Amino acid sequence: MEGSDHAADFIASGLALLGIEADEMEMAVMGAFHQLLWEPLQEMLAIDTSELAPERNPDLSKAP
Amino acid sequence: MSGLDLPLREQAAAIAAGDLDPAELLEATLARIEERNGALNAVVETFPERSREMLAAAPAGPLRGVPVVIKDEWPLPWRAQRFGSAEILAPTAPGESGPYRALRDAGAVIVGIGNMHELGSSSTGNQSVYGPAHNPWNTERCPGGSSSGPAAAVGGRLVAGAVGADGIGSVRFPAAYCGLTGLKPTFDRSAMEGHHQAAITETIVSGPLCVDAADCRLLGSALCEEELAAGEAAGLRIGVVRDTVSEDVAPEVGAACEAAISALREETGGEVREIELPDMDPATVAVVLISNIDAQGSVVPERLNHLNPEISPINRGVIKYRMLMPAMAVMQAKRIRTLMRHRLAALFAEVDVIAWPTVPAVAPPLEAPLVELPSGTTTADQANVRGAGIANLTGIPAISVPVGISDGLPIALQLQAAWGRDELLLDAAEALERANDRRWVESLPPLAMRPSAA
Repeated sequence: MEGSDHAADFIASGLALLGIEADEMEMAVMGAFHQLLWEPLQEMLAIDTSELAPERNPDLSKAP
Repeated sequence: MSGLDLPLREQAAAIAAGDLDPAELLEATLARIEERNGALNAVVETFPERSREMLAAAPAGPLRGVPVVIKDEWPLPWRAQRFGSAEILAPTAPGESGPYRALRDAGAVIVGIGNMHELGSSSTGNQSVYGPAHNPWNTERCPGGSSSGPAAAVGGRLVAGAVGADGIGSVRFPAAYCGLTGLKPTFDRSAMEGHHQAAITETIVSGPLCVDAADCRLLGSALCEEELAAGEAAGLRIGVVRDTVSEDVAPEVGAACEAAISALREETGGEVREIELPDMDPATVAVVLISNIDAQGSVVPERLNHLNPEISPINRGVIKYRMLMPAMAVMQAKRIRTLMRHRLAALFAEVDVIAWPTVPAVAPPLEAPLVELPSGTTTADQANVRGAGIANLTGIPAISVPVGISDGLPIALQLQAAWGRDELLLDAAEALERANDRRWVESLPPLAMRPSAA
């Protein structure tokens, strides 16, 4: 419940700030997508990459 | 003979030898599309006069006179792409796209436009402005997406080869669901010009879908505009990851893929090594973020208040949600990409290919694309992206190869290799075909076994 409240708040306030309108169905889709994405996204953000030398404009056709 | 049911390479060879009239082949192909497409909705448009003109002007290239289908993702000189959608968030116009030029210069004849999942946004193929394509193995099942039409067209033997695109598995998923071989080339190796995201994408490539690896080599060589030379996969070092991608799969999929890996090892005189590739889940999130941001292009918020209402609610919602994706997460996604690229580079010093199931379960129903896994029931999209995204995130090539059938539906193994080693993947896929006496690549769906009027 808390998670879905958070999702609803995040989506509604984000859309309002950007002036984007959404109907009920679109809001439901966004809520579901957010629920799927948010936890793994937080896990991804928690990975410490500070030791990693960044690739500037990487050539993805070749090894780093 | 019409040559309609010959493999792509045999069609090409028979035409070059003068044993097959390409005009007859073209007409037979158009008749076959007319006859079988009603059940598949694989081909959403044909243009017989344009095809005849292409044939009349075809140079003596490696695919001279061979009919192919191209996904609704690139423009042709007489048609702009629709991307399976009522609307694309980017300007489009008819033109000579890279894949069109590559096919034309190889002498191929484009006979139709392949259906696709709306906006390329799913692994299922169950949503399209044209209506969904159907799986030739069971027309109530998903054909896979987003290159649903190209796969269903080849699977149903409407044509011997088709061109798809792969941004997160979109060649490999439908190849797996339809029992085909599908190659996702190394990033930037195959023709992409003219695609509405060509200038910005960091994940999408064009790739061939064919019955087997030899045909993929021929069509892939045309798309890459260089020969993907055949070699030997002798002494192949096969890396396997004992993680979600290989463990959280339907039992029949796991068993078929394990058997295929063993057969490949034996056929090549190679070895299987257990390897570790941590952080697959964050890597999956990373590629989802990067591909979604790429897809959004230069859209401004106000534009999203005027989306075509015929776009499905799911895609309308996702398009709007993309505007909320945190910039720091996208930056972190690119750092994760670097991390995974370094890890893969190190792994590819130890192994030649990394193998795991292309998809964790066979094609789900079109009406409700859910899959049953040991971890529980989940959407096919959520399950499928885990094993496919790493190749798009990092740029490495990957191939899906049929390795079994369960309940009348194909099972597939994915092989991935280091950057630029697309040829090795084709060699390994051919070795795998030899190892199982070509049983799976020569299996036909019921729809393709019916006597044909064409």
